[in-house]
Amino acid sequence: MAEYIRPLRRLCRSDEPDYGGKSANLGELLAADIPVPPGFAISTAAFQAFVHEAGLGQRISSAVAGVSPGDVDAIGRASHAISEAMRFAPVPDVVRVEVEQHYAQIGHAAGLDSPPVAVRSSAVGEDTADATFAGQQETYLWVRGVQHVCDAVRDCWVSLYSPPAISYRARLGDAPHPPVMGVTVQAMVDAEVSGVMFTCNPVSGDPSMVAINASWGLGLAVVGGEVTPDDYLVSKVTGEVVREHVHAKGVEYVPDPSGGGAVRVEVPTDRRDVACLDQTALAKLVEVGKRVERHFGSHQDIEWAFARDSGGELFVVQARPVTGLAKKPDKPKPASAMSLIMGKFGAGPPKE
Amino acid sequence: MATTAPKAGAFPSPYEIETPPGCDGWEEMYPYYALFDERRRDTDENRFWFWNSMHFPVPMPAFDVICIDSPYQAVGAWQNRVFAVPPAMGIDYRCVNGYIYISGNPVTDPEKIGERAHFFQARASYYYENWSELYGKWRAKMESLIRELGDLVVPDLPEYESDQVAFGEDRNTAFYEVLDAYVRALRLADLMWQHHFEFLLLGYGAYGTFVEFCKGHLPDIPDQHIAQMVAGIDVLLFRPDAELRRLARLAIETGVDQAFQQGRSPGEIDAELGQSEAGKSWLAELEQVKDPWFNMATGDGLYHYYRSWLDDPSIPYAALIGHISALNAGEQIDRPTEEIVRERDRLASEYAALLDEESRTSFNELLNLSRMVFPYVEEHKFFCDYWFLTRWWNKIREFGALLHRNGFLEDLEDVFQLSRYEVASALDELVLTWATGGLPLGPKHWPPIVARRKEILQKLGEWTPPPAIGVTPEAVTDPMTIMLWGVTTERVQEWARQQEGGSVLNGAAASPGVIEGVARVVRSADQIGDVRDGEILVCGSTSPAWAPIFSKIKATVTDVGGVMSHAAIVAREYGLPAVVGTGRATSQIRTGQTIRVDGSEGTVTLLAAQEE
Repeated sequence: MAEYIRPLRRLCRSDEPDYGGKSANLGELLAADIPVPPGFAISTAAFQAFVHEAGLGQRISSAVAGVSPGDVDAIGRASHAISEAMRFAPVPDVVRVEVEQHYAQIGHAAGLDSPPVAVRSSAVGEDTADATFAGQQETYLWVRGVQHVCDAVRDCWVSLYSPPAISYRARLGDAPHPPVMGVTVQAMVDAEVSGVMFTCNPVSGDPSMVAINASWGLGLAVVGGEVTPDDYLVSKVTGEVVREHVHAKGVEYVPDPSGGGAVRVEVPTDRRDVACLDQTALAKLVEVGKRVERHFGSHQDIEWAFARDSGGELFVVQARPVTGLAKKPDKPKPASAMSLIMGKFGAGPPKE
Repeated sequence: MATTAPKAGAFPSPYEIETPPGCDGWEEMYPYYALFDERRRDTDENRFWFWNSMHFPVPMPAFDVICIDSPYQAVGAWQNRVFAVPPAMGIDYRCVNGYIYISGNPVTDPEKIGERAHFFQARASYYYENWSELYGKWRAKMESLIRELGDLVVPDLPEYESDQVAFGEDRNTAFYEVLDAYVRALRLADLMWQHHFEFLLLGYGAYGTFVEFCKGHLPDIPDQHIAQMVAGIDVLLFRPDAELRRLARLAIETGVDQAFQQGRSPGEIDAELGQSEAGKSWLAELEQVKDPWFNMATGDGLYHYYRSWLDDPSIPYAALIGHISALNAGEQIDRPTEEIVRERDRLASEYAALLDEESRTSFNELLNLSRMVFPYVEEHKFFCDYWFLTRWWNKIREFGALLHRNGFLEDLEDVFQLSRYEVASALDELVLTWATGGLPLGPKHWPPIVARRKEILQKLGEWTPPPAIGVTPEAVTDPMTIMLWGVTTERVQEWARQQEGGSVLNGAAASPGVIEGVARVVRSADQIGDVRDGEILVCGSTSPAWAPIFSKIKATVTDVGGVMSHAAIVAREYGLPAVVGTGRATSQIRTGQTIRVDGSEGTVTLLAAQEE
């Protein structure tokens, strides 16, 4: 029988085809002693079982057949048809039972009956930002209770057929196999501050910088571009804050006081214009960022959160390679010092 | 080469700049060739001139013009006639309302450029290969030049010449000695400027290449870190303060430190020290230090206004008071050289480690070369700009004093209100009338001229010069303009934009590139279908659901969002310029309007408006 679920700490890079990039990377981070909230991963096999049991395969392929990538209306209709069908199909019992067991373990570790978790899609074989944009968008925060977790898992599966995802695959052309998806379920950090950091400056390409965007509350607002976050550029070499822009942060996501889900609320005026990271927090981020980068051996795009309690501990909730780095056309090409200097004087390289 | 396809418009024509009220006749302070003259209008009006605010931030007094002429003669001679920098000859200057505008003379003929490259490569290579030896000789030359200046005597005009003149071998009379001293003083300044520029281009060239290489590969590296990696440890410019620290310790050891109290003037401190034996010996030690280490300038510039520590010791005395009180408080005041060396090597190796192997080799070679040239880059300021120049201005003051004593000037400082030719002329009349016993006209002639010029200079000081005049170049390619003044194409475009006064929105530079196009303002997802190919998307924030249109648009601008939002990431992946977090793009920009998105600078410029 196919494996449906595995704890994150038992995953590594080579599990990406079965569990998706997000889950596999989290497994790697745990192995490297990076502080990552505990959790489990649902395999692509679980998704396939879901599609198979509900008998959706045929309906899906006929709905997306012949859709052109630029036809916004047609993509919308196909997406709608597939989502409706998926939403009413049950999560297979075998999967549900395993979710229940692993969810209980998270609760046991946290000392809670129904611990809040984050449920996110974990895409397979796609590591460009464009693909992320298209397929990995779904994130459900502060989900509580087995039933809600299963619903959120199914919603992630549904997102595989969101309009952007369909459009993206249509642009790529015919794929040999129908798309699959993994799901990550992770203990939720009640973040006081959260955001994203790049272990290089994604705009200038400078490898000596860590670029950090931060805002109040859970991590949806920064990634979704719903706030203009505080913006920091910190030197990896000296830890100096090279640039700092504190912006007015109008909204934040917080756990819904009614018990489940995250709600978007206005940031109280007294916190709106306040910098959400101090020197100590920035230093912690840079230290962790450098470790993650060293582990993977490439520049990383890292989502992180500082917990509201437990001493403001820092957690990494996601890491992936930086893609789409701007190419700097005017970067001086390596050459001998003398020929570079001659070039500066407009003299070309020296004659031997 | 310096300019391609010039366009008029952004900057004022040099011929249309008005004289500020009350400043009529300012031109008389400057040489005829320094003015925008009608007879040269066809050429001068079609060049790009920028204000050299780096060296000449305030209006030039008439005498100080020598610090324009002489440096530009010297830099041109080395750059154009010795090293033959292939695409650039020398630098022309013009004066407008007392402010100095400059413009490089490009070499455009490819054949000529090739010919010059031949000279440049051979001569520059020789200098780089023999740098340390040549620089050693240079220091010796400068020291002897400064000695010569010190030995130059400005004689007085006696009632009767001495017996030495009457009976001795040396039979020169004072008229000749005064005129000769003046000519020699001017000649020494020319010689200093000549020496000044012998190494400057190549020194700055090597250092500048390293800076450029660092900024190309590490675009956000703080300038300070580059300087730290290159900076010398045992640099002459640190000596003056090192000597002050030593004197501070000596004052404490010999028990005279109580004289150095906050708020006391140097004179008061000296007076107290003069009352004890220990104080006197401390003062004697200070005298030893003064030459040469007090030949620091109180400011950084090419005007007679900047005096040396010898003339105005308030800076070194303030430093002494600070050092003594720090030492008495148990603080460490020594420059932590070991730590500086460690940090400099750590920075260099960590930055090198961030580069790929090939780039690392270039980085290390350039770093070593920069370290080799850097003593000159730092020390020439001490020798030329501080030590020589402050003493030289004082030498000119001696001529001022001579003219003042004889009624030609109301104050010796007034000598700087006359051009160097006018001073020569005043000295001519002075020695003539001294010789003949006739009645000099100078005392009636010069004071009103000086008074008027002082008034004009003060009023010109209130005028704000435009950053550039003449035509706007499409691109700045003159390597000297870029290297020595940092005037790049981007800088000029920024000046031009400021002049045009177009409305500009600022946001975060999220994805680099500059593009102009027609805006499409999208306020909600249902308007997304309206976006046409090649438009610039202007929206509140980019929803992930809008991915499909990223292949249609050519740039994006948002009201909110940071550089790590998905919108920004996708824009970078598609290579579209993006500015996010402008705060008000959707309310300021209208669909159909032409805008310029600069995703490297984070600015959006609203150009022509078009009705919907």
